[in-house]
Amino acid sequence: MLLQIIVNGILKGGLYALMAIGMALIWGVMDIINIAHGSFIMLGAFTTYWCFSLLGIDPFLSLIASMLVLFLLGYLVQKYLINFVIRASAFITLILAFGIEIFINNLALVAWTADVRKVKVSYGAANFSFGSYLTIPTVRLLAFLLVIIISIVLFVILNRTNLGRSIRATSQDLEAARLVGVDVARTYAVTFGIGVAAAGAAGTLWSILFPISPMMGGILTLKSFVVVIIGGLGSMMGPLIGGLTLGVTEALGTNWFGSTYENLISFTILVLVLIIRPRGILGGTD
Amino acid sequence: MKGLVRTALIGLIALGLVASLELPANAAATKVIKLGCAISFTGGKSRSGKLYRDAYDMAVEQVNKKGGVKVGSDTYMFKIVYYDDKSDPTESSRLVEKLITQDKVNFLLGPYSSGITIPDSLVAQRYEIPMIEGGGASGKIFSRGNKYIFGTLPPAGQYFKSTLEMLKTFTPAPKTVAILYSDDKFDLSVAKGTKALAEQMGMKVVLYEKYAEGATDFNSILTKLKAMKADVMLVAGHTEESLNVTQQAKELNVCPKLISMTVGPSEADFRKSLGKDAEYIFGVASWSTQMNFKGYLFKDTQEFVKLFKAKFGYDPDYHNASGIADVAVFKDAIERAGSLNPEKVRDAIAATSLATIYGHVEFNPNGQIKGTSVVLQIQGGKIYQVYPEGTKKPRYPFPCWKER
Repeated sequence: MLLQIIVNGILKGGLYALMAIGMALIWGVMDIINIAHGSFIMLGAFTTYWCFSLLGIDPFLSLIASMLVLFLLGYLVQKYLINFVIRASAFITLILAFGIEIFINNLALVAWTADVRKVKVSYGAANFSFGSYLTIPTVRLLAFLLVIIISIVLFVILNRTNLGRSIRATSQDLEAARLVGVDVARTYAVTFGIGVAAAGAAGTLWSILFPISPMMGGILTLKSFVVVIIGGLGSMMGPLIGGLTLGVTEALGTNWFGSTYENLISFTILVLVLIIRPRGILGGTD
Repeated sequence: MKGLVRTALIGLIALGLVASLELPANAAATKVIKLGCAISFTGGKSRSGKLYRDAYDMAVEQVNKKGGVKVGSDTYMFKIVYYDDKSDPTESSRLVEKLITQDKVNFLLGPYSSGITIPDSLVAQRYEIPMIEGGGASGKIFSRGNKYIFGTLPPAGQYFKSTLEMLKTFTPAPKTVAILYSDDKFDLSVAKGTKALAEQMGMKVVLYEKYAEGATDFNSILTKLKAMKADVMLVAGHTEESLNVTQQAKELNVCPKLISMTVGPSEADFRKSLGKDAEYIFGVASWSTQMNFKGYLFKDTQEFVKLFKAKFGYDPDYHNASGIADVAVFKDAIERAGSLNPEKVRDAIAATSLATIYGHVEFNPNGQIKGTSVVLQIQGGKIYQVYPEGTKKPRYPFPCWKER
């Protein structure tokens, strides 16, 4: 049973990691805590839902669509909204992000009502077992593998391309980056776009596994936040480590203390990490 | 040119004002008894909320078709004023207050779910307006000495009693029971009552676990249940949760010998969403379509089932029948009271003894209906009453997901 619980935790942790990657990227590079992150995840989930129910596109295929849509949205939001306050104090950007969150959620509420929906794929409950010890839900495993692939792609983009170099340069030293000719405004917009696209991908995978509704974003923002703090900023491995830690601890914790305590457990870990390792498990630089 | 536009605009606004003033005057031509109802059109409880709306609408239509409500020498028509509570208790109680103070409704019909009924019933009490509800069964609604709330669902603690009695008839009788319940007033009462009953009957409750209301991920509970090798899984939750539990039980290949759920199996929507995965799942209900009672608004249960199906395109379940009974009780009580005075109507409701398609309605002193529940099971995509003395025999044990 312990093995099964840990596997459940790892599979869910992968999803948490993907949710947090986008938030960590935006936070690390632009120093914005994107409160609206969960809302973007929700939009990604709904993009998949509509692709599936209106056009009959398989959720795993619509992953590309939802990432593209969300990238574009993120790019525009940064360029035409956040860019105006990027030099203001962190507090102002926080308020703007909060406003964006309220706007998106309520727009979604008006457009799609508060109803809970589900992407009903025929293979939804497929699984395979190793004897009586371990049962692995196929969709969760696929989602987990996708998380790894998306993380690797992002890693390559950040480390091996010119775009990645300018993103990292901007994050490390804004003045120097500008001096060597990096278009900072564009870099910011692209970074925000990539971060939001990762949220969209997380939303797509979430919608395959769980029911979705316009108000689902709030708790996901909090979970992403916890994951980023646990993992620490400044490295691509941070969210992955943070996500897996949270997933496994939650699985073990709900097993011992009961499911009602899921969120209590997440935030207890957050507090513990802040006390013991204030810079996250990896202890990255800011 | 500019002046012309402005005059035209002012004219339009004036016309609009006149038109809006005229509307209520027209509507007041026939005498109307307004029933106020804040209920879930959207949100997590909207599926079940719709069942009540359909029932209330159909019952009101039937009352009006059959000549309305006679109060002394006057004849009134029923009219329902609805608001969407978005499945939120705070929103719901605010809307009930609005129904009473602004819409000036005469009486109140209840929302869906115990958690929402409690705050709503408190508003009804504060303004001393009687509320009859068909969607909340928690003892907590009726234990507050609230004189203005009446419920047509039987007490939550007794919900699984008939199911546990049925377990005794199986050979070999299952010995271990797992109870999962939502952190919600109604489900808490169900779980507590069920645990006590099961232990009285000599069964062992190996897992008794609460999950957060509206939870979506049941992997850890199900993993635990599998490890405990529970013979019977009883779930007290809401439709969405029942759907998720079933789907994830299949994902993790968890198959106890019997699965029963308070809410879900009796609803056509549940069976449609799950398809063949819904097979053999048991449910409990205060009413089933296989019963036959002489009715008040309708001739009998069977006629009601036929008319309902023709009107809405799905089989009614106990939620619908309970909703019909609510409106029937109002008509009967108002006519006996011979007045629209809330106090007199309240006393008349308390003295109700009425035959309806839902069964005989009589209230306990605390306002809750006297009644019990029956066991249902999904077989071949349809729901049948299987205990006591149903139209089909219960199918036990539960064939595992892969053996279908």
